[in-house]
Parts: sequence; C-alpha cells; structure tokens
Amino acid sequence: MDARTIIESLTGKFPEAVSEAGIDSQVRIRAYVDREKAKEVCQYLKDSLQFDHLCSVCGVDYPQRNELEAVYHIASFEHPVVLMLKARLPRDSPEIESVVPVYWNANWYERETYELFGIFFRNHPNLKALVLPEDMIGEWPLRKDYEGFPNRTARNLV
Amino acid sequence: MGKVKETKTNNSMECPDEEIPGVITTTTSAIHNFLKKTKAQDLINWGRKNSLWFMTQPMGCCGVEMIATGCAHYDTDRFGIIPRNSPRHADVMIISGYVTKKYLPALKRLWDQMPAPKWVIAMGDCSISGGPFYESYSTVQNIDEIFPVDVYIPGCPPRPEALIQGFVELQEKIKAKKDRGTEY
Repeated sequence: MDARTIIESLTGKFPEAVSEAGIDSQVRIRAYVDREKAKEVCQYLKDSLQFDHLCSVCGVDYPQRNELEAVYHIASFEHPVVLMLKARLPRDSPEIESVVPVYWNANWYERETYELFGIFFRNHPNLKALVLPEDMIGEWPLRKDYEGFPNRTARNLV
Repeated sequence: MGKVKETKTNNSMECPDEEIPGVITTTTSAIHNFLKKTKAQDLINWGRKNSLWFMTQPMGCCGVEMIATGCAHYDTDRFGIIPRNSPRHADVMIISGYVTKKYLPALKRLWDQMPAPKWVIAMGDCSISGGPFYESYSTVQNIDEIFPVDVYIPGCPPRPEALIQGFVELQEKIKAKKDRGTEY
C-alpha cells in the first residue's frame, strides 16, 4: 500500500471531513480532519488502512489565526507510510473527541496535550494532569501567550 | 525550635503524663539551651561534624556523582560521611538537581522527616540557580529561601572531590558554630 492509494482511499471515504490532503514524500502524507470526525477517521485508518500505531499526539498554538491544532502522527507496522493528521480547533473552546477507544496509548499523550495546551479531549477516561502539578491546570504553559515564566533569576548568580 | 517545644508541652497537658519507672522525663529545653553556652557544645559539635550521614536522594545527573562519592573508591567513611537510605537516619540533605513545582512538596516532606540537627548542601548549578532550566515554567526559583542551605557546590555536575570539599567546608562551619542547622 503506497502513499497515493492511502490518500485516495481516505478522501474517497470521507470527502467532507478530510481536507488539504497531500503527499510530502513516499513515506510522509498529511491531511486536515474535521474535529467532529477525528475519531471515525482514526477508526477507519486502523481498521482498513493498517495504520495501527499512534506515534504521538501534540498541539500547536497559532494565536494570530486564533486557532489551536491537535496533531496526530499515525504510522503502521505493515507499510512505511506515516500520516500526519491535524485538526483545527477554535482557541476559545478547544474541544475534540478522544481517540483512546481506537488507540489505547493515546491516553497519556492526550493528558499531556491537555495540561500543556488546554485542548479538552471529550470522553477521555481519565483526563487530569500527567506531569504538571494539579494547581497549574488552567495556565497552559506551552501556549504562545503564556506569561507565567519566572521574572527574576536566582540571586546567587547576580 | 522553641515553638516545637511549646506544642509538645501542650500535647502532654492534654493526655496525662506517663510515669516511666526510674526515668526522669522533661519537656523543657533548659538543659539544651544551657549547654549551648558552655564548652560542652564544642564537644557535641565535634561529634556531629564527624558523623555527617547524608540522605541518598538523587534528583538528577548530580545524583550519579553523589552515589559515586558514597562508593568505596573515595572512602568518605574516613570523614564520617556515610550514605543512608532513610531520611530518619540522615543528618545532611543534598539537593542534587533542579526542584520542580511538583517535586517541592515531596522534598519538604523528606526534610521534615529528618531529625534535627540537620543541614542542607546545594549541589550543582541546577539546585543553586536552576541551571539551564532557570526560566522554565515549572522550576522553583531560589531554593535557599525554602531550605537553610549551608554550602553551595558549583559545577555541572561537581566531581566527587568537590562534593567531599563541600562536606569539609560544612564540617568547618559546624566546628566554628556558624552553621545554619542549629541556633546558637
């Protein structure tokens, strides 16, 4: 199964939800997905296109476009193609359906994306902070407009 | 120190005093405070400075140097410096890495579990100033405002010889009664 077959199968199955699909090289493809359909697309990728390995879930902040993006890297043990699947989310209510029922290892990835970017994953089994302390929830430190960095250096250096 | 004594006295007021046969119990620190003014404190400090047991609590790459210091090659036993695994056996806490906001409560709890007299050594650039992580959103700044740090050992990480030098400096401070672990 090569990159062009996968893209054609994906856009043929979801003509409405999948947009801006492109082929970067024979092993890297990318697509944007509608945020309501992310879980169904992942289910189709896993069942029919042999994308059985979720590599990562992360977030990107675009304050000028007033958007957050959730990024999924999905690979396969059967073929060499890696898919970068993105979902655009509005910055004031960044919510997306959790993909934990499809890929179980998305659990901790989504918790980390939640605590760092504030992207809320609906129907996540245990959505709480992963490595940050609980009282830092709500600060979203990896967003571009985060201003909670320490404003004084250690006195011992000065 | 005084506050702790007061609360203990209050607790003993609530529950009736237990009479231990043949033992005279007291809740005052009068003897303790009297000894601090005499030459006997020199003898006590001589004993304390020669048994600086440190807590094996590595927090980063400095922890590897800390463990190497405790191993046989450097033979820190000749200074009375022995690694201990329990905070209840330890006299010295070595902060050997950056302290994150999530780890600080656990570190405070370890510090509270150590029996007095106790001392703190800040080992490495990370614990002194935050090191390369000093601007991070999750790093605690200025650890010396939270713990009474006696000796700072710079280095990234300091060699075991530097750590032993830091212990010797701490011994000198205890001998001169200038350490922050005890109120003189």
